[in-house]
Formats: sequence, structure tokens, C-alpha cells
Amino acid sequence: MATGIKQQDRQDAIAGWLFMTPALFLFAFFVFIPIFFAVYFSFTDWNGISPPTEARFIGAENFRVLLLEDGIRRADFFKALKNTAYFSLGVVPMQTALALLLAVVVNQRRLRFKGFFRTAYYFPSITSSIAISMLFLFLYQRNGLVNQVLQTITFGLWQPIAWMADPRGLFHIIFGWFGLTLETAPDWMRANVLSLPVWDWISGPSVALMGIMLLNTWTTIGTMMVIFLAALQDVPREVYEAAEIDGANGRQIFFSVTLPLLRPTLFFVVTLGLIGTFQVFDQVYVMSAGGPAKTTLTVAYLVYRNGFTNSQMGLAAAIALLLFIIIFTLTLVQRRITEGKKE
Amino acid sequence: MKAKHLALFSVLLAVALVLAACPAQPAAPAAQPPAAAEQPAAPGVINLQLMGWASSDAENVRLQEVVDGWNAANPDIQVTLNLVPDYDTKLQTSLAGGAPPDIFYVDSFRLPDLAAAGALLPIGDQMTNVDDFYPSLRDAFTVDGVFYCPPKDFSTLALEYNIDLFDAAGLAHPTADWTWEDLRAAAEALTDKDAGVVGFAINPDFARWIAFLYQAGGEVTTPDFSAMTLNTPEALTAMEFYVGLVRDGVAAPASDLDSGWPGEAFGKARAAMTMEGNWIVPYLKDQFPNLNYGVTELPSGPAGKATMAFTVCYGVAANGRNTEAATKVVDYLTGPVGMKAWTDLGLAMPTRQSLREGWLAMYPELEPFLNGAEYARKWQFRPGFADVLDTINSGLQEAFSGLKTPQQVLEEAQSVGEQVLAR
Repeated sequence: MATGIKQQDRQDAIAGWLFMTPALFLFAFFVFIPIFFAVYFSFTDWNGISPPTEARFIGAENFRVLLLEDGIRRADFFKALKNTAYFSLGVVPMQTALALLLAVVVNQRRLRFKGFFRTAYYFPSITSSIAISMLFLFLYQRNGLVNQVLQTITFGLWQPIAWMADPRGLFHIIFGWFGLTLETAPDWMRANVLSLPVWDWISGPSVALMGIMLLNTWTTIGTMMVIFLAALQDVPREVYEAAEIDGANGRQIFFSVTLPLLRPTLFFVVTLGLIGTFQVFDQVYVMSAGGPAKTTLTVAYLVYRNGFTNSQMGLAAAIALLLFIIIFTLTLVQRRITEGKKE
Repeated sequence: MKAKHLALFSVLLAVALVLAACPAQPAAPAAQPPAAAEQPAAPGVINLQLMGWASSDAENVRLQEVVDGWNAANPDIQVTLNLVPDYDTKLQTSLAGGAPPDIFYVDSFRLPDLAAAGALLPIGDQMTNVDDFYPSLRDAFTVDGVFYCPPKDFSTLALEYNIDLFDAAGLAHPTADWTWEDLRAAAEALTDKDAGVVGFAINPDFARWIAFLYQAGGEVTTPDFSAMTLNTPEALTAMEFYVGLVRDGVAAPASDLDSGWPGEAFGKARAAMTMEGNWIVPYLKDQFPNLNYGVTELPSGPAGKATMAFTVCYGVAANGRNTEAATKVVDYLTGPVGMKAWTDLGLAMPTRQSLREGWLAMYPELEPFLNGAEYARKWQFRPGFADVLDTINSGLQEAFSGLKTPQQVLEEAQSVGEQVLAR
């Protein structure tokens, strides 16, 4: 008897491995090996043009240039990191909150045309990101729809701006209202920290970057909404009924019942958002190519630019590796925070 | 039983996958005998690949005709024209992969990077009558004294002006004798805030500002590339003039004129003048056929005339398998016969001085562009100069927005340039 079960187990194990083989092969070829090479190249001076075998091993030189040596390459790296951080700080909370709101709305039992709304909200997520980016380029023009709408709702007070060509930072604009500009700024704001003046660090997202943030939020809400929706439908009806019987109102039910039950999903959505925003590339590539004045230069775009227009593939690989470490750390920190709340 | 079948099936699937994956592995190019594997049929025929990027339909068709002409006359060397999207990425990966196309386009700005990587065979001096190429264009493909590849065609910057707007304002049309002062005065007179029209459309673009730098007598680097020279008074004059036009509202970038590029703003008559290359001519003919405009040479600065030559050459891969045949083909394409066939279309300008008169007889209206070849400067620096380009472009953008002074932009570019030259 016992041997029979063991036999069965072994057969199951073999079948299991065989089932995984195709995926494992694909994974090895297209993920493991490329990652291994990327790590290797980050320690070389490979230019991306000559055969990789000619790349010279230079130790941690690329990382030294990026992190320790004062110069344009460190300045660009931290500028990209700053832009990406502002991007993430803006997009992740916005997309999570809006997606949750939409999910709760389309989850209502008495909502009519439920299917229509669910499809409509999900639509931007499945449309080609390139096509949408091209479309938004027109919307953001000086005489484009966005400016026209803003002009209409402010009764002509809004001065049209060329969104995608405006390098002014949001915080800089706000500082300007209070008379704080680079000329009037105290000296410490002009000092360099990591090759970038403090004044630049506190710029906030530029108008152009905010344009991309808005677009990115709009295209990602749908996916996040579907995830929240699935979780919401998993919440047993009885819990809500019990809360209602206890006399809880709608707001109390949402904050004390729905939200705590959604915590694992919330973690998942925020993690996805964090990773997605730190890797944003396609919309930057299509809409701004890092400009105006490098204010939409993101880390992922910097990797591309170094690898394919600056002939510094080794440096690009090093940036990619640093980006991986940053995302990994952020995810760990975020998990710690979400878990901590559980107790 | 079922499990067994499934197991068998997955084994088969895995094997199939492995088999399918194998040919995708890049073949080791070094150890192979030349031209043995690829073409089993037609022994003795050398097959070459010519890779470039697609331009207008008319140009693509004409280039194919020129290549077909070669193929018909040379049965032993057959050339396949391959025009690809996302060209730079594609070229770079095929070079790194060890199986580059035999002949490929090389932009003059990109040349130093490719030459430094040893990707190009220097074939320039093997061409027929090398001295016939304009010296400025030969210079554009020369790095450290080596003439790498012959120019396929070229464009220069000139001043385009809207005749109707000039006539409406009662202004004399621009001429080749114009100076910066004339340009500035005309731009002021033609700017009409209420109508949303500016005198001059210019982008925050190093590739445009640099013409003003040379006109002011400035230089980007010393001739031997040992030091940056953007900290000179000449450079500051050029930067202040260029940025001043925009800050004073008499010029504007395309984005402020609801356009994707200055040519579009000019076509929409949102700008009375712009400075673009001859690529603007087919564009305007296609998109704005009724636009009444003229072309003249760029105005002179304090130090005289200058314009930029943007040009592309036919490079031959250093580790290609049939470099001799490829060199022959390039010699035909850029030789008197091939060059004439290619440029007779009027979209590209011939790089050989001997073809000048014949071409001008067909396209007299493009003379200002062709005249630029006499005093054009090359758009080519050192490996890694893309960093300087980016810095100046973003600096110009900030200066246009009033976030930086011309002085600050130049200081930053000077410092970045010094870092690039020191690498």
C-alpha cells in the first residue's frame, strides 16, 4: 500500500515538473539568462555596439560614476530618480484611491448599466498605450482640448499652456506665488546635493510630467479597479448584513468593514502601482523623450538613452540594476508597513 | 493512464520547444567560412543587405530603383534593400550580435561612436574621384584623419520666409546678404500677438543654435577636441541673441504655436520665418500646397556666414563577410552615375560638386540649400557627445522659459563637454 502511494507521488512529481518544463524553458531563456547578462554587463564598459565578448571588465566603476563621482552621469541619474519618485508619489495614491472608488461604485447591487460602466472604466487599460499617448499629445497642445476645458470652467481666467513643453516644476510655481524664485532663494537651496541643486530636488513634478502622470493614472485605473472588484465580490454578504443590523451607516461600513477586509488587495495594488510607476517608459518615449529640460527623464528612459543613444550599455545595465534594487527595497518596506498595521 | 498521456504530451511539447528555440540562437559568425551557409542556390552570387531607415514613399521607391539598376547590371552581386523602423536600436543590436548588414546608413553625429567601437571599415578613400565630394561633407565623415564612408546625400539649413506675410507687412524679402539685425528687425515687425503669429519659429535645439554660434565666430571645441570653447564671449553673444528672440516674444518654439515642429508652424502661417533644411520642401508641398514662401541662405552673424550640413553616409561593416563587394556597391551608389540617379528626384542633394550644375538646372529654387555646402559646418563631434547635445537642448528649453540665463546654460554645457572629452 505504502509503496503504491509513493509511486503515485513520484508520478505526480514527474508530471508536475513536465508541466512546468515549457514555462521554465521560456523563463530561463527570456528572463534568467538576460538578467544574468545584465548583471554581468553592469560591471563592464560595453558600448552596446561591438560584440559583447569585447566588453572589458571594469569592476564597480559604473556604480562609482553613478553614485560617487560628481558629474553629468550622476546628475542625470539622480534627476531621473527624482522625477520617477515624484511620478510615483503622484500616481500611486491617485490611481489606488480612484480605482477603489470606481470599484465600490460599480459593485453596487442596485446600479443600472453595471456592465457598461465596468467595460468603460476598463477600456483605457486594454487600449494600446502608444495610441493613447499620441492622442494625449494633441489634447495637451496649447489650443488642445485640455486647455479649452480649463478655460471654459474658469470663465477664461486660465492661460493656455503648452503642457508637454513646459519644464516648470509644480512646487516651483507654488513657491513663485509667494515670491520665492531661484534668484530670491536662500543660498542653501542653491547648494548641490548629489550633483543636483537643492532647488532642483524640491521642484516637484514639471507640468509636462504631470501631463504624463494624468495619462498614466487614467490608463492604469481600470486594471486596479478590476482587482478591487474581484476582492469586493469575495466579501461575504453576511458581514455587511451584520454591520447593518448593528446600525452602521454607509461610511462606517466602508471604513470599518470593507477597507480592513481589502487590506491584502490594497497591498497588492499599491505594489503593482509602485513597480509600474518606477518602470514607466513607453509614455515618456512617445510623448516627451525625456524633455522638456529633462523633467520627464525617468530611470527606465535613462537606461534606454544610455544604452542606445549614448553607447554606454554597461552604464545602462548598472542603472537598471540600481533600479531593481530600489524597487525591491521599496516593496519590502511597503510590505513591512502594511503587515505592521495588521496587529 | 491519463497522467501518463499528459506526461508524454508535455515531454513532446518540451522537446518541440527546445528544437524551436535552437535556431533562434545567433550563429557564431567568426568561425564560419564566408558566405557558405545562407544561400545554397545560385553559387558564386554574393548577396548583400543594405539597411536604412524609411523616409518618404517617393524616396523609398527611388532608392529601390537605383538598387534594382545595380542588381540588373551585376548578376554576381545582388543587393537587398531593407528599410527598417527604429533604425538605431536595430543597427546596434545587429552589430553587437555579430551579424550586421553589409551596408548601412550612418548619421554624421553617430559616426564617432561607431568608429570608436570599431564597427566601420574605412572605405572613403577607395571611392571614385574622392575630391569630387564637397570638402565639408568629407569632413563630416572623417574622424582622426580617417575618411570612413562616402556621403549618400545631405541637407543644409536655410531661411524659409512666408511671402504673403512679408508683403502684407510691406517688408522687403530676405536675401542672402541679411544680417542678424535684419532678421531681428523683420521678426519684430512680423510678430502679431493678436493673430497668434510670431516672426520666427525656432526650437530649443542645439542643431539650430549651433549655426548662430558659428555665425558669431564661436566654436564648440578646439579643432583637436582637446578643450571645450563654449565659455567664450562669441558663444554668449550667439546664445543671448537666440534666446533673446524668444524671450522678447518675436520668436517662439513650435510647441507654443500648436505645432509638432517649426516646419508645421511655418506651414500654418503661425510663424513668418523658420530655419530648416531642404526636407521642409516636400513636407510643405504635401501638407500646405498653397503656402506662398521663399527660401534664402541663413543671415550672417558678426563673423560672417555659416550653416549646418546634416548628412548620412553608406557605412560598410568592419566584420561583414563581403566587404569588397559591399565597397563596390557603395562606390556605385555614391559615384557619379548612382548619385545622379538617386538625387534626380529633387528630394536629396548630390554630394558631388560635379553634379551641382546639372541638378540646379532642374531645381533652381533649391539653390540656397545647395549653396550652403560651400560654407557648411559638420554635425559631428566626439564619442559620447549626446550628453552635451542633451544638456544644451534642455538648457535652451529652460532659457526659453526664463528658468536659466544664457550664461548658466553655457557654463553647464561647458562643464559637461569637458567631462565628455576627458572620458
